[in-house]
Amino acid sequence: MTIAKKLLPYLLAVVASFVAAGIFISLMGFDVFKAYQTILFTSFRTPNGFIQTLLKFIPLTLLALAFTIPLNAGKFNIGGEGQMMAGGIGAAAMGIMFADLPAIILLPLVILGGVVAGALWGLIPAWLLYKFNINEILTTVLFNFVAFFLIDYVCTGPWRDPAAGHPTTVLIGRGGWLPMLVNNPPLHSGIILAILVAIGVYIYTSRTTGGYELVATGANPRAAGVFGINTRRMFVLSLVLGGAIAGLAGAFEVAGNQHRLIEGMQSNFLQLGLIIGLISRGNNGAVPFVAFMIAVLEVGASAMQRTMMIPVEMVFIVEALILLFVLLSDVVRRK
Amino acid sequence: MEDKTILELKNVRKVFGQIVALDSVSFALKRGEIHGLLGGNGAGKTTLMNILYGLYRKDEGEILLRDETVNIQGPRDAIKHGIGMVHQHFLQISNFTVLENIVLGTDIKNKYTMKMDQEAEKVKELCQRFGLNVNLNDMISTLTVGARQKVEILKALYRGVDILILDEPTTNLTPQEVDALFVSLRVMVNDGLSIVFITHKLREVLSVCDRITVLREGKNITTLDRKDASEEVFVRAMVGEKMDIENSIYFATEVRQGFDRTTVEAPKLKLENVNLISQDGIPRLKDLNLEVFGGEIVGIAGVAGNGQRELAEVVTGVVPITNGKKTYMGDDVTSKTNVDLLSSGFSYIPEDRLSDGFLPKATVAQNLILGQHRIKPYSDGRFINWKTVFSESTKYIKEYNIKTNSPGDIGGNLSGGNIQRVMIARAFSSDSQVMVAHNPTRGLDIPSMDFVYQKMLARREAKLATLLISEDLDELMRISDRIAVIFRGQILGVLVRDEFDKYAIGRLMSGITSENQPTEEKNLP
Amino acid sequence: MDTTIIDFLRLVLLSMVPFVLAGQGTMLGGRTGVFNVAQEGMMLVGASVGFLVSFFSGSILLGVIVAMLSGALFGLALAYFTTSLKMNQFVIGLALFFIGLGVSTLLPKLILGITLTPPLIPTLKSIPIPLLSQTPFIGPILFKQNILVYVSVLVSIGLWYFLFKTQKGLELRSVGEYPMTADSLGINTTKMRYWSTIIGGMLIGMAGAYLPMVYAGTFTEGMTMGRGWLAIALTFFGGWSPLPILYGSLFFSAVEVLAFRVQVIGSFLPYQILQMFPYIATILVMILTFKRSRVPGFLGNNYDREKRSL
Repeated sequence: MTIAKKLLPYLLAVVASFVAAGIFISLMGFDVFKAYQTILFTSFRTPNGFIQTLLKFIPLTLLALAFTIPLNAGKFNIGGEGQMMAGGIGAAAMGIMFADLPAIILLPLVILGGVVAGALWGLIPAWLLYKFNINEILTTVLFNFVAFFLIDYVCTGPWRDPAAGHPTTVLIGRGGWLPMLVNNPPLHSGIILAILVAIGVYIYTSRTTGGYELVATGANPRAAGVFGINTRRMFVLSLVLGGAIAGLAGAFEVAGNQHRLIEGMQSNFLQLGLIIGLISRGNNGAVPFVAFMIAVLEVGASAMQRTMMIPVEMVFIVEALILLFVLLSDVVRRK
Repeated sequence: MEDKTILELKNVRKVFGQIVALDSVSFALKRGEIHGLLGGNGAGKTTLMNILYGLYRKDEGEILLRDETVNIQGPRDAIKHGIGMVHQHFLQISNFTVLENIVLGTDIKNKYTMKMDQEAEKVKELCQRFGLNVNLNDMISTLTVGARQKVEILKALYRGVDILILDEPTTNLTPQEVDALFVSLRVMVNDGLSIVFITHKLREVLSVCDRITVLREGKNITTLDRKDASEEVFVRAMVGEKMDIENSIYFATEVRQGFDRTTVEAPKLKLENVNLISQDGIPRLKDLNLEVFGGEIVGIAGVAGNGQRELAEVVTGVVPITNGKKTYMGDDVTSKTNVDLLSSGFSYIPEDRLSDGFLPKATVAQNLILGQHRIKPYSDGRFINWKTVFSESTKYIKEYNIKTNSPGDIGGNLSGGNIQRVMIARAFSSDSQVMVAHNPTRGLDIPSMDFVYQKMLARREAKLATLLISEDLDELMRISDRIAVIFRGQILGVLVRDEFDKYAIGRLMSGITSENQPTEEKNLP
Repeated sequence: MDTTIIDFLRLVLLSMVPFVLAGQGTMLGGRTGVFNVAQEGMMLVGASVGFLVSFFSGSILLGVIVAMLSGALFGLALAYFTTSLKMNQFVIGLALFFIGLGVSTLLPKLILGITLTPPLIPTLKSIPIPLLSQTPFIGPILFKQNILVYVSVLVSIGLWYFLFKTQKGLELRSVGEYPMTADSLGINTTKMRYWSTIIGGMLIGMAGAYLPMVYAGTFTEGMTMGRGWLAIALTFFGGWSPLPILYGSLFFSAVEVLAFRVQVIGSFLPYQILQMFPYIATILVMILTFKRSRVPGFLGNNYDREKRSL
């Protein structure tokens, strides 16, 4: 099949969801064309818009990978956001506790703190699955809520910044800040690392023996187990790896964007990560491209809410509809 | 017997995707006969009857019941017209009682209290009339295969059917149980029922059927009265002109020599006092001793669920042995798992290919290397060499006649028979020292079965060891050098080739070891 | 002391309602094999439209009814995509969860505008049952509750009777255990799955509507706080049976009330730790019960009559 033919259902899905949402938007009395112009082109009209898009692209790619890696092994990680928050906490903890260290030590420490904390947050559901055979879907979801309260606790605890109105920690040490690629508007160097991670994940799952075992486990764990693959270890590995990557996203938020931990930092990264992962159908190679597309829509959505008073949720529903239509294209093909 | 046609299927056509499953097939059933529907796997027997029962929709054709065209949209219509079907894989709900399973879907008198005394009475009466004894309050999950089949027949009788379809009803019955079933069928026919008997076993139709229709590759081949035809006619009808029956193993008549034990010294595989206790604490294998020599095919007979699967998994290292000893080429491999064994000379064709052997979402190539994905030539231990994988896969697809466009196709699109060929290609391609093959020919047509037998005999020539676990007794007797019979996790007896006897094996299969037990062979009416 | 216990138990019954209704709704769909994971989104929509309709119509009853209809609509969509189009139940459930999430905040924003001070609706009044409510101790606990507490108990008992004491119930359960069997006996599996999912959706919608009507008096974004997910855990905990789910929701509710109470009273523990308590308690409960829980045999799978068994 040619690439064009492969992309066709996706294109149709996008068009169909825009049409469906467009009817609704115009029924509500808004200018559909202006709305869609804003959604689609904000990212490309100004450097600021483009950099905003890239900044969205980073966590979205990572969160989507945090979902697709376990998905490749047949496990659903619905806890990416919790793992990201845990990563943020880990990174902030390093950055605050060792604030005085030079960048060459502190920055890796901050990043590592995030990755390890995220991996740990993924390890708990993985362990519950390994040890007690408890369905990972529920445990990963529930640990999101635990992470939200934990972040609230950290932001109101000893590291609290008393000057801030909202629960927030003090700034992390200057050495823990990610270097900027572009200063104005600011773009941190996390994007390079994020792209490297995406490429690494792609190579791991499609070329290596370990990746083959991961995919085989996801395709049929029972058969994989019968033929000599330690599937329970693959489940744990995939969830921990997913957690680590989500944790990296959390570390970037702290080290690259906020330079501190803020309560309620989570946006709707979880849902978007899942949507991206599902639209990509678990294909890690497709994830960054879909993530970029969704980042464009998200940046456009904020602009639309600002300028036209159309709520951002409208775009979120469009994204969910794209997912639904992409899934529907399978049914059409089956017929 | 009246010579009146009660049911007629005319020019029925059914297409699944791109596969023509039935091509203008016709079939007529007379009142009060047992009509055999004979053919190999993929002949379309079950598909035809599923259409009659309303489970599949026909693309073309006509169904005439008592000379009137009927439109059967679903099983509900079929039941209404007095048609019942006993499926090969029992359609029962394992955590419902026998009675609940029988009455399910019918109108219960006390439908808002579920007091079912009346219904129970009616079922008990049927049990007596047809000699089908089951306890109505038992949970299905606690029953034996034989008892579950009685439930399945009772379900149809309870609905007052006058046409009963039985799909491969003898699968997993001992020869003695088969005889008892045939007696019951005669009682039913004498009671006015008409029966369609689907099978791939020639001997069964010859012993119980009045008329026989043969299907092959979705086409009508012939319909003959039992008394008018010889065995050879049916054999030829089942396999077609192309197959070389003379040199086939499936139809071989000459007696092959058994394995000569004096030529080799040590067995390739040896199990000594092997015990397996499952996670829920139930013993599955008990003090099991077994040897398989190089150049030998050892068959395991038994009613399904008596430890065959556990035996296969213990040998291949899928599950660890609870206690006992396993030796491979003289080395103690008791604690080795499948991770090691599969890359050091074991191969495995699991019983349940879909659940235990196949990756439906992965490609054919990915499926073909499963289990050998860690060793050369497919992998250097870290990276998979996809180029080699593809070229080797292409070779196997050709050799094993797997019908697919390319190694990159998704495995889930293959038909059941082709999935089985993938299992076979995977196991046979590695020339393993020890092969465990569990129902290896399930789902294959007769020529393909023969191909597998040829391959197994080639292994025998090459002095490799093969453990063949099968629920098809004919298959075991055809090809094994020895047959061990397993019952409730124990080997009750081992027979060498010269001693093979269906009824003797059947007795062992139902747990009877004493020589003094009265034989259950019955002369058929 | 006595009044504290009475008060606590009364609150437990009051707070169990969303768990009971969402749990029974999940159970009902699951009993025909449809595994719903969109509860969180469906409850949010129920809460959102329940609040909006109550606010504009002034009728709480109408609010509840429309919330139930919204749940039914999601149930219908779930049934259609999974039963008719045979799409993966879990993925469709997630997609519906997303849509619910979006719709629930979109509607108030569109209708009330993007505002920081949302309007309030009156909360559900308690309806004392004559005589019974006068009984000492159990009177105020059991018989001085709002209407939906009574409804949720009656729904549970009704579902138990239906599933285990009627012919239709037996047929419905057979669809969730092994639809090929049900189908081969002339039971309409598709219809069963649609109805169970739609009615289950109604119960979940009602569970959502309860939140603004009893707790906050208004709709806030994400106000379910994971109760939809907890309801799934509850359903497993209750072994997919109505009465154990009813008892189980008492436990889930008690944990929630306890965590809240201790926060109000104050303790040496930071309040965030107490807020985590319901989620962690749920996971602990899952460790203890997950293995033994019986699940409908065909849960999460779609049945395709013409798909040839390979």
